[in-house]
Amino acid sequence: MNRALKRLSLAVLVMFVVLLININYLQGFDTAKLAALPGNTRALEAQNQYQRGEILTSDGVIIAESKPSNDPIYKYQRYYPQGPLYAAVTGYDSLYSASGIENSEDSVLAGNNSSLAIRNFIDLITGKQHKGANVTTTINSKAQEAAYAGLQQALQGTSRVGAVVALDPATGKILAMVSFPSYDPNLLATHDGTTLNANDKKTLRAAGNPRLNHAINDLFPPGSTFKIVTSSAFFNASTANNPQTTVDSPTQLTLPQTTHVLTNDQGEACGNGSGRTTLIQAFLQSCDTTFGKIGMNLGGNTLNNEAQAFGVNNQSLKIPMPVTASNYTIPPGLALTAFSAIGQFDDQVTPLQEAMFAAAIANGGKLMTPYLVQNVTASDLSTVTTTQQTMLNQAVSPSVATNVGQMMDAAVQNPGGTAFAFNKNNEGGIDIAGKTGTAQNGVHNTGLNDAVFTAFAPFGNPKIAVGVIIQGGGYGATAAAPIAVQVIKAYLATLGIR
Amino acid sequence: MSSVTAPTPAASHGPGVDEQLDLVMRSRRRTELTMLIFAVGIVAFAFINVGYGLNNHLSSKMAEYLLGFIVLVGIAHLVVRRWAPFADPLLLPLAALLNGLGVVMTYRLAAQGKLLNVPMSASATTYQLLYSAIGIGLFVAVLVLVREPRVLQRYTYTLGAIGLALIALPALLPSSISGVPGSPGTKIQLRLAGFTLQPEEFAKLALAASFAGYLVVKRDVLALAGRRVLGIDLPRARDLGPILVAWAASLLLLVFEGDIGTSAVFMGLFVAMLYLATSRTSWLLIGFLLFVVGAFTASKLFSHVGVRFAAWLHPYASNEINGGSFQLVKGLEGMASGGLLGKGLGGGQPYLTTLVQSDFVITAFGEELGLAGLMALLLIYGLIVQRGMRTAISVKDPFSKLLAGGLSFMLALQVFVIVGGVTRLIPLTGITTPFLSQGGSSLVASWLLIGVLARLSDTARRPPPRPIQDEGLTQVVTVR
Repeated sequence: MNRALKRLSLAVLVMFVVLLININYLQGFDTAKLAALPGNTRALEAQNQYQRGEILTSDGVIIAESKPSNDPIYKYQRYYPQGPLYAAVTGYDSLYSASGIENSEDSVLAGNNSSLAIRNFIDLITGKQHKGANVTTTINSKAQEAAYAGLQQALQGTSRVGAVVALDPATGKILAMVSFPSYDPNLLATHDGTTLNANDKKTLRAAGNPRLNHAINDLFPPGSTFKIVTSSAFFNASTANNPQTTVDSPTQLTLPQTTHVLTNDQGEACGNGSGRTTLIQAFLQSCDTTFGKIGMNLGGNTLNNEAQAFGVNNQSLKIPMPVTASNYTIPPGLALTAFSAIGQFDDQVTPLQEAMFAAAIANGGKLMTPYLVQNVTASDLSTVTTTQQTMLNQAVSPSVATNVGQMMDAAVQNPGGTAFAFNKNNEGGIDIAGKTGTAQNGVHNTGLNDAVFTAFAPFGNPKIAVGVIIQGGGYGATAAAPIAVQVIKAYLATLGIR
Repeated sequence: MSSVTAPTPAASHGPGVDEQLDLVMRSRRRTELTMLIFAVGIVAFAFINVGYGLNNHLSSKMAEYLLGFIVLVGIAHLVVRRWAPFADPLLLPLAALLNGLGVVMTYRLAAQGKLLNVPMSASATTYQLLYSAIGIGLFVAVLVLVREPRVLQRYTYTLGAIGLALIALPALLPSSISGVPGSPGTKIQLRLAGFTLQPEEFAKLALAASFAGYLVVKRDVLALAGRRVLGIDLPRARDLGPILVAWAASLLLLVFEGDIGTSAVFMGLFVAMLYLATSRTSWLLIGFLLFVVGAFTASKLFSHVGVRFAAWLHPYASNEINGGSFQLVKGLEGMASGGLLGKGLGGGQPYLTTLVQSDFVITAFGEELGLAGLMALLLIYGLIVQRGMRTAISVKDPFSKLLAGGLSFMLALQVFVIVGGVTRLIPLTGITTPFLSQGGSSLVASWLLIGVLARLSDTARRPPPRPIQDEGLTQVVTVR
């Protein structure tokens, strides 16, 4: 019987070895796959069991933090001290999902990014409580507040949306990013499932879709601000072209193969009415006929290449949140090419793209990759990673940038410029360069016009580029430009420039 | 036993012989005590770990539970010293360690009891300790009352009848008494005055003893009579009787009580014991084939059996008709989140898994103690089984051999079925995890099993009565 016992013992050994192999596979090799299962809420729930990292502005304002909670299950409560103000930046972190920086930088905020592995190991050995790393954003709190206040003033009480993005042209740092209407991320940070569901539904169904980041994930027609692209393509076409080059500026432009006649905004003459004027005059006056004609001469392909040089059609831009690609479609036919040259037809941009137009011009044609995360610091305050600024593209040559910049300056500073009206007082001496846009909207252009403005300042030494889009705001100069000016002034004040 | 030629220590004065005798006779109770202190220490650390892991706070309740546990295992140790001084020194500490960790896990889960799909009240830990007390009480009773394991052989048919009756009882009773809330088709318990009892846990032990008694008598005829076909010795048709009865009993369980896991354990136990008794591989084949055919047919005929197979094959499916098993997947996710070193006791979220306190307790350990902890747990089970097998090999009479081998194998099989089930190695069948699951019957029955093994190992290791003999003098033999 002992022989049988020994054989049976061997069978038992095999059974245990099989079990051991199986759990080794499960817990040693299969963890990533299981953790990524669609219904697995453990990782998100676990976040509230230890202190998640803070999110800060570049000037040290805490915009997301975890505080000890009295909850019987979860030890920490995520808290957004500024509420809706920074929602477009932080996003939210709920029991079941996350967005914004909370989502994109989750692994460092949660503290399980591979770059933190050694620190975590030391903490484990020294018995220190696990704590996530802090993320410092590039946001400037003053610029952000000014942008939010401006949008609130323009849009509060309406169901329309708007967004502001401000960039540092030299580095690509995102100085302000506001999407309006916004929502309070604290509503979604609650640990109570029923409340969370109710708040989730409420914010998702609210007018203006506050949960959508209109600054980077919503598209609007650029209107006349697209003339920056058309002008750049015009200067690129020949080194002889400069702002003083005389171009056709008919009061009415009959579009080929149609009976449609393109006129300027109020049917006014462009320049002195002679039908010829300088390019800078047509730009500062924003003549649709002139740029429609230039667009037809250049052709859809050239405009497409130029637009892409500014970052349009880029499907892979991440800041680190993925940015919806702005769109330029090569039009089928000359008439539509004319429309596409003045920011109509299928032209669609994000407010971030608007800021990138101005930023590229301001930085001598060099378009820096926009980014939102300045650096990551571990819980012991040592720096883990710092974002390296990179050039996204040489959008235009430095000389072209100078030419376009000069024209943008004229649009604001010249008494005949579309944006001069709001700049009569010269804004405390700050030389702002910009371009307005008033995009027709809706079916057969029956909707309210979108107000668009892209600008950089100070003209001589650009420190900030701003893109503003107000849905249904009317004229760009009236609705969008004042907000851009507020943001510029607020930011330059922090730099000591007034 | 005694040998007239064996020299007495007094006569030989040879140190070598003296040592040899001492080696054989060492009772190793001090080893047991050391290991027991070690086990209690681990349990104490586990309690502290839970306290800090849950809310950075140690409660006086923990100290009470720990103290109660220490008193219980202390009593068990003293009883072993007095009534089974030569018992295997590892059985008690290993069982105590598992039981202690089970109490800790019950405490840890009950602390977040409201979050569980099947909520636990705070008193669950007290009950778990109470069941431990009953279990250790039975362990003590076995050691004190059953002084010689062979007496059990006398009750072969009585025990068999008791075992079958215990199995059949829930199937015969209305499901208001025997049904398990929340799992239709499962009738495995007796609910009386707020307490539930799972008779099958005890039936397993009774039947193991009964099988051993029966097979000892019939082993020769089972092994030798028969005909050889294709190189396999086939038994005579009339000798197939007992295996068919066991098979019928296990199918009864499968069909009328919806308990596939226990039915597999029964079948495995009986087949293994048949093999031990006869050393004939044909019995293994016949038993295995019968079980597979039965289980396959049942899976086609009865929905609650088929569902298990579907869940095993497609646990990630989005609905239960296609096999989706929320429970199984949550358990796997929990183990995955534990990784290599685990989240620490009190640091994970085992409450997300349905029935984590009973069938899925292994996933809670996997999550909080990690792969390292779970491997340690499996090794503890493996060690108990190994000690049992060791006892079977060293014990001399065939009944004890069969009983020890069968019980050890049954424990191994039970661990294999439940751990393999929750880790998706085999189809999941809801049986308890010995010592670790919350609940009384399983814990008490497991202690009973350890008690029998301890008694058997004591018999195996007990030295032969020392012959009192001096050459040239009259030999005096004392008969106790």
